[in-house]
Amino acid sequence: MFQHNSGTALPSQRTEIPFLLQVILVLLLALAGTGCKGEIPGVERPEYSLPLDVDISSNEPGRYGGIFVTAESQQPRTFNPLVAEDAYSSEAIGRFLNGLTFYHPLKEEVVPELARSWEISEDQKSITMHLRRGVRWSDGEPFTASDVMFTFKALFDERYPNRYQGQYTIAGEPIGYEKIDQYTVRFSTARPYSPFLYVIGFIGILPRHVLYDAYEQGELLQKWSIRTAMHQPGELVGTGPFSIRSFRPGQRILYEPNPHYWRADSKGRRLPYVDYLITRYVQDRNTETVLFVSGQIDVSAITPGDVVGVNRNSELHDYTVHHRGPATGIRFIWFNQKPGTNEQGRPYVEPHKLEWFTNKKFRQAVLYGFNREGLISSVYFGRAELLHSIISPANQRWYNPDVRKYPYDPDRARELLASQGFVYGADGNLLDQYGNAVVVDVYASEGDDITPQILSTFRENMRDLGIRVRVRYLDFGTLVARISRHFEYEAAMMGFTGGADPSGGRAIYLSSGRLHLWNPGQEEPHTEWESRVDQLVYASEETFDPDERVEYVHRMQEIFSEELPLLFLLTPHTYVGLKNKWRNVRIPSMGSVIWNIDELYLEPEH
Amino acid sequence: MAVFLIRRILSAVPLLFGISVLVFILMAVAPGDFLDVARSQEDIPAEYIERMEEEFALGEPWHTRYFIWLGNVVRGNLGESWIYRVPVTELLAQRVPATLVLSALSILFALCIAIPMGVLAAIYKDSVFDRISSLFAYAALSIPEFFLALLAVMFAAQTGLFPIGGLSSVEHEFMSFWGRMADYAHHLVLPTIVLGMGSVASYMRIMRANFLDYIRSDFVTTARAKGVPEGRVMFVHVLRNAINPLVSASGFILATLLSGSILVENVMNYPGLGQLIFEALMRQDEFVVVAAVMMGCIMLMLGNLIADLLLAWSDPRIRLEKN
Amino acid sequence: MVKHLLQEILRRPLGMLCLSVLGLLYACTIFSQFLAPYLPTDQDLEKAYHPPTRIVLKDWRPHVQIYEQVDPAAARYEPVHGETAAISFFAPGREYRLWGLIPAETRLFQVEEPHRIYLLGSDGTGRDVFSRLLYGAQVSLSIGFIGICITMTLGFLLGGVAGYFGGRVDFLAMRLVEFIIAVPSLYLLIALRGALAEHFEPEQMYLVIVIILSLIGWAGAARIIRGMALSLRERPFILASEVMGQSSIKVLFRHFLPNLASYLLVAATLSIPAYILAEAALSFLGLGIQEPGTSWGLMLQQAQELKVFTLNLWWLLTPGAAIFITVITFNVLGDVLRDIVDPRQQMIKR
Repeated sequence: MFQHNSGTALPSQRTEIPFLLQVILVLLLALAGTGCKGEIPGVERPEYSLPLDVDISSNEPGRYGGIFVTAESQQPRTFNPLVAEDAYSSEAIGRFLNGLTFYHPLKEEVVPELARSWEISEDQKSITMHLRRGVRWSDGEPFTASDVMFTFKALFDERYPNRYQGQYTIAGEPIGYEKIDQYTVRFSTARPYSPFLYVIGFIGILPRHVLYDAYEQGELLQKWSIRTAMHQPGELVGTGPFSIRSFRPGQRILYEPNPHYWRADSKGRRLPYVDYLITRYVQDRNTETVLFVSGQIDVSAITPGDVVGVNRNSELHDYTVHHRGPATGIRFIWFNQKPGTNEQGRPYVEPHKLEWFTNKKFRQAVLYGFNREGLISSVYFGRAELLHSIISPANQRWYNPDVRKYPYDPDRARELLASQGFVYGADGNLLDQYGNAVVVDVYASEGDDITPQILSTFRENMRDLGIRVRVRYLDFGTLVARISRHFEYEAAMMGFTGGADPSGGRAIYLSSGRLHLWNPGQEEPHTEWESRVDQLVYASEETFDPDERVEYVHRMQEIFSEELPLLFLLTPHTYVGLKNKWRNVRIPSMGSVIWNIDELYLEPEH
Repeated sequence: MAVFLIRRILSAVPLLFGISVLVFILMAVAPGDFLDVARSQEDIPAEYIERMEEEFALGEPWHTRYFIWLGNVVRGNLGESWIYRVPVTELLAQRVPATLVLSALSILFALCIAIPMGVLAAIYKDSVFDRISSLFAYAALSIPEFFLALLAVMFAAQTGLFPIGGLSSVEHEFMSFWGRMADYAHHLVLPTIVLGMGSVASYMRIMRANFLDYIRSDFVTTARAKGVPEGRVMFVHVLRNAINPLVSASGFILATLLSGSILVENVMNYPGLGQLIFEALMRQDEFVVVAAVMMGCIMLMLGNLIADLLLAWSDPRIRLEKN
Repeated sequence: MVKHLLQEILRRPLGMLCLSVLGLLYACTIFSQFLAPYLPTDQDLEKAYHPPTRIVLKDWRPHVQIYEQVDPAAARYEPVHGETAAISFFAPGREYRLWGLIPAETRLFQVEEPHRIYLLGSDGTGRDVFSRLLYGAQVSLSIGFIGICITMTLGFLLGGVAGYFGGRVDFLAMRLVEFIIAVPSLYLLIALRGALAEHFEPEQMYLVIVIILSLIGWAGAARIIRGMALSLRERPFILASEVMGQSSIKVLFRHFLPNLASYLLVAATLSIPAYILAEAALSFLGLGIQEPGTSWGLMLQQAQELKVFTLNLWWLLTPGAAIFITVITFNVLGDVLRDIVDPRQQMIKR
């Protein structure tokens, strides 16, 4: 950091210098001359018979071979699904472990994975799952109902706290699980719960024969760490398309096909086609894009601003930048509406400000006065759209396009403010009916390059409305502590990544939710509309009729867009670059681009 | 000698104590904690977070946590990383070799370039070479390191001569032993240059100044008068002495060896300690941060000790017991 | 002494050059409100990533060329043939307070709204890079000065006291110095900033950063000054003044300070670049000055994007050039100063 350390000096180097210099020069010359491109040999594929309940891919049959290289910004923290908290770990785990069900991003519905079929009982409270027969773990041991039982026993074990315990607790009761026979299990829930089939697919089924001893000894959470992946990758036994061949921390992970994988193509050849799947860890987003542009990785997300630049090289390295449509996540600014006081008796929000923030018309006026369209055309190069609802338009199945919208209209904003008793002072500042100047502190987390641009524009736009906005950037932890523990803030900006099924958002939607940001953890719904939302959420979780569920979720979105507890910002369009040599590519509107990596194959001329 | 060593080592103990306390206080004062990331995810249930708070003793005041930690350290256990669920020592050990190699190489690179250039600049003082080299030195000192790294990445992408970041290529493990070595070397070229550039400049200026000092000194004049060949005068008498005084601060180099460079590692995607420690700092993965800081301190003290020993060995006028 | 030093610097062409470059930079900084056509926060979302505007002569008066956006996806602008807007000099504009005190409204140059003059192009929300550079200089160019004042004062006080009194005071002070040096500075910096950030307004972040940087930086200076003080203490004139019964404080300031002044000056000049670069590095990590504030480091960090290279938005890299020029000038000036104060370069050997 400080380059002028006047103490900087060197130890005596007498005779070594010329020698070392020589060595380095020789090395350099050798490198520049020969380069060091190694060839990766093809993978050996042992011929094991296909399982009885093999899943036949409906896509065109391909051919074996090829190496698929992807990049992630961070490495997995663990390979143990009970420990994993972050998306990067989950992704790596998903390569070698399977769940019982799988959410198909193109069909937008739950499809069988390790469970081949299921039946829902009359009272909709128990679900019987039939497992695929003849499936083997990557080490050759058979997969049976005992593995499923073991997984759920471990998951609900008091000694091993994990995120699934809460997820699999429905209406206050942990889900029930019992083994019917070797290939049948039955789950039961305390009340009908329609997202069950979606949720049950989250946990990767664990191999009992590998982990049972550790489970008994209370060391399950210490198993399958990155240390295992480095030194004994063979211990990471799964049913997924790949096995881990090697893992180099901070550099990459190398997967090879699982010889016992349970999917095959219509010609009876076992998937996956690729010889190796490599995920490189590239922390800097620019470096990742540079790697893609120079042809060294096969797939990469491209930001709106880089699309034009990246396209210039598409001929040279034979790739295409695909437009995926709006991003899945949502981003918003919100005002703190939490009433009450902290332990010292100080109100979370000053009473006169709380009055503005709880006034729906005030929130609407602010959104009318925010030039989001201008942001789209400048910061996003026109490659984004306004966000109108609490569910992103990327989630086509659940998104309601007919909610109330708030285009940029500063005159409308001023009218709305005037109708609520706000007046302008001599200096052009907005005053409320008691003469308080409208000043708002907005908190945001630093370290995202778009956030400051959005907030600077927000600040300028609000100044035009006479509202003084002060933006304060905190590091992420501080921000979270403020909004979820101390509640001492006026407004903040944040985003959520968003999942496929709205049941993932219940912590936000429900008035009792932990992330019901504007007023979290309410014992009783504080407002009439919040209680309506609560009812809609519960109703949507209880019905198994898909259309009825969509209807409830649509109504919920209408309420949010009318009441505007969150001021939705915008959703950038996402782009993904992919090399043209890969076949069977099906890009969904949300989720991973290479969700069907087991079906991808190299086009014949390569 | 032995007394000196023991005294030095003993005096380090309170320092380490102080620093570990400081780290714990700073971590406690810093807002938020390790679980904040989990708290912000919509699908992580509150019960799980409570369980974790209990397990990591995050509800306790810092001094309680400090004594728990201290108790473990005394028993030889530096704790476990909360992010990775792996012993801290092992986590750090994964990254140490890469950082060590890069730092050593960049210092070596700096020395190999700076010493000859500094010597030449001193011998041909005020010549064109002197001017150009000092211009280079000023320029090298004035570019922010991270910016140089970015330019290096762009350079690699444009020319294709060097890999774009990383420490080894994807084909690495299918290569022969020598192939792997060459692969490493190929990847190390750009980071070495980027990291070494700043030091080249400062070493060069120091070298030039010292060399000039000795050229003018009496013993050189004497040697010349006695008819010692000019080359021998320069390279045996002057160079040897000009390097010597720099030993005094060589401890600093040892300290930097393990600190890694967050900025360069980030941009050039180098799997070193810097990345890991930065992540631990930002996520408040307490035991990793403490261990990393302690490691840095120990390296520095070790470096200072070695520098003092070297100095005593090379310059008999200095006696160890004095200070 | 100052006068003598100035003469010596001006006698050398290199010194003269450095001094004039720095003089120009600081003059621009002081009068940035007058020189900049816009506020650093003035946006124009219609003109994002606008290239530098051409200046043309029309009727013997300078006009600014008007552009239209032809491809929003690539931020491409083409000049509209024949359409220009006159530049008015010393004309009144939006009111401002020079140095926060004197109300004024005259600006060096501006053009009539809705047209804009972008001498160095615009950024992602259409803010004028030239104006931001000028305002950013207020932070980047002063951060070193303030920092160095704190560092040198602390270093002199602690180092001087330690060296002068010796014994137990010296022992304690040096342990403190070792303590500071032993903590890896970047980690300390990040931790301190995290701890302090919440308690300060964004406008004060600047001060927080300077204080943190100097709190870490003073230890090295203290160690060197202590060494010099140790040798000074044995000099006859110090002994004499002690014998004559002057108080320690007096000795410290009357005799030590003037004797160490030249060292302090050179060290200060050579250390300022470290502050400027450290601010840039902090900003790069997202830990520096924050919006709506502006600094060269922050601007450079915002330009760390691939599109700057692929879309050739070179003007966004001008803060990098500004940092480069400033740092190089301080370095060269520091060397010139060292030559003057200490022609045999004793200092480097300590």
